[in-house]
Amino acid sequence: MSLNIYGTQLDSRLLIGSALYPSPQVMKQAILASGSKVVTLSLKRQNPNEQSGQQIWTYIQDIISETNGYLLPNTAGCKTAKEAVTLAKMSREIFQTDWIKLEVIGDDYNLQPDPIELLQATEQLITDGFKVLPYCTDDLVLCQRLYDLGCEVIMPWASPIGTGKGLMNPYNLETIRLRLPDATLILDAGIGKPSDACLAMEMGYDGVLLNSAVALADNPTLMAKAFAQALQAGEQGYVAGIMQQRQTAHPSTPTLDTPFWHQN
Amino acid sequence: MNIHINGQAYPISQAEGINVSAALTFHFETPQQSTFAVALNGDFVGKADYDTTLVKSGDSLDVLQPIQGG
Repeated sequence: MSLNIYGTQLDSRLLIGSALYPSPQVMKQAILASGSKVVTLSLKRQNPNEQSGQQIWTYIQDIISETNGYLLPNTAGCKTAKEAVTLAKMSREIFQTDWIKLEVIGDDYNLQPDPIELLQATEQLITDGFKVLPYCTDDLVLCQRLYDLGCEVIMPWASPIGTGKGLMNPYNLETIRLRLPDATLILDAGIGKPSDACLAMEMGYDGVLLNSAVALADNPTLMAKAFAQALQAGEQGYVAGIMQQRQTAHPSTPTLDTPFWHQN
Repeated sequence: MNIHINGQAYPISQAEGINVSAALTFHFETPQQSTFAVALNGDFVGKADYDTTLVKSGDSLDVLQPIQGG
C-alpha cells in the first residue's frame, strides 16, 4: 500500500517535520527511523554570517539523499495569499519542487488557517503550476472547495499546531473522509501520541504529517519508530474492516453447554 | 538614499537604483556560494532576473534561506 501525492507513490504514509529537535544529529536519526519519505522545511530571513541554517539544510539534503525522499517546503508564517504565493515561488526555485505545503495563518492565538486567504492562494498557485498541499481546518465545505480547485491532497488539522491535543473533532474528520473518498487526506498538526495517528489511519486517512510529537519526545528516534508502527497498525485495521459497534453486550464465549449451576 | 535588505538599511548613490545582483553583495560576501531566494517589495524575483531587476531607493529586498520547518 502506498501514499499517493499527486501521482508520486510513497511507501511510507508518514510525513515528518525537521524543526524543534534537540540537535541536527537527532533530527536526522529520528527522521531516518520514522521511515518517512517526505520532510518538511521552510524559508526564513537569516544572518548571512550565521551558519546554522546552512548546517540544517545540509543535514536535510543528506536525509533526502539517503532515503530517496522528497522535500515539502511550507509557507509557515504567511498571513495573506500574496505572502504565501511569493514564498511558494521562492521555495520552488530553491528546492526545485512544485510541491508546497500551503499555510496561511488567520489567528495568532491558535494558528488557525485563514480559509479565505487559503482558497485565494490555492487558486493562484494551482494556476501557476504548483501541486498544493493545503493545511486547513476540519471544515468539510472548505475541504470540498479546495478539492474542487484541484487539490488532490488535503491536510485538515487534528488540533492547533504544536498542541499535541490529538483529534479534537473526530466526527468532522470522519465526515471529510466520507465525503471526499477520492482525495488524498493527510492529517496535519496537533498529533500528540502514536495512538492519535493510529486513529486517523483507522478512519481511512491516507497519511499523517507531524513534527512536535517526535521532536519534543524524550527519545525522538524511538518515538519516530512508534509512530511508524502506529500508522501501519491503523492502516491495516482500516483495510481489515473494523467491526460495527453495538449497543448491547454479546457474549464472545459460546453459551451452548453452559455449566449446570447457571441452569436453574 | 537607502535600500533595505532583510530590514537593514544600506545606502546607495545611484539615483536609478542598482540591480539585484549588486544589492546582494551588501548582504553576502559570496552570494554564489549560498542557497537563497529573493523577493523585492513582496514579489518573487527569479535568479534569471537578478541582473535586469532594479532595486531603487526605498525598496525592500527579502533574502530567504532554508531552515527547519514543520
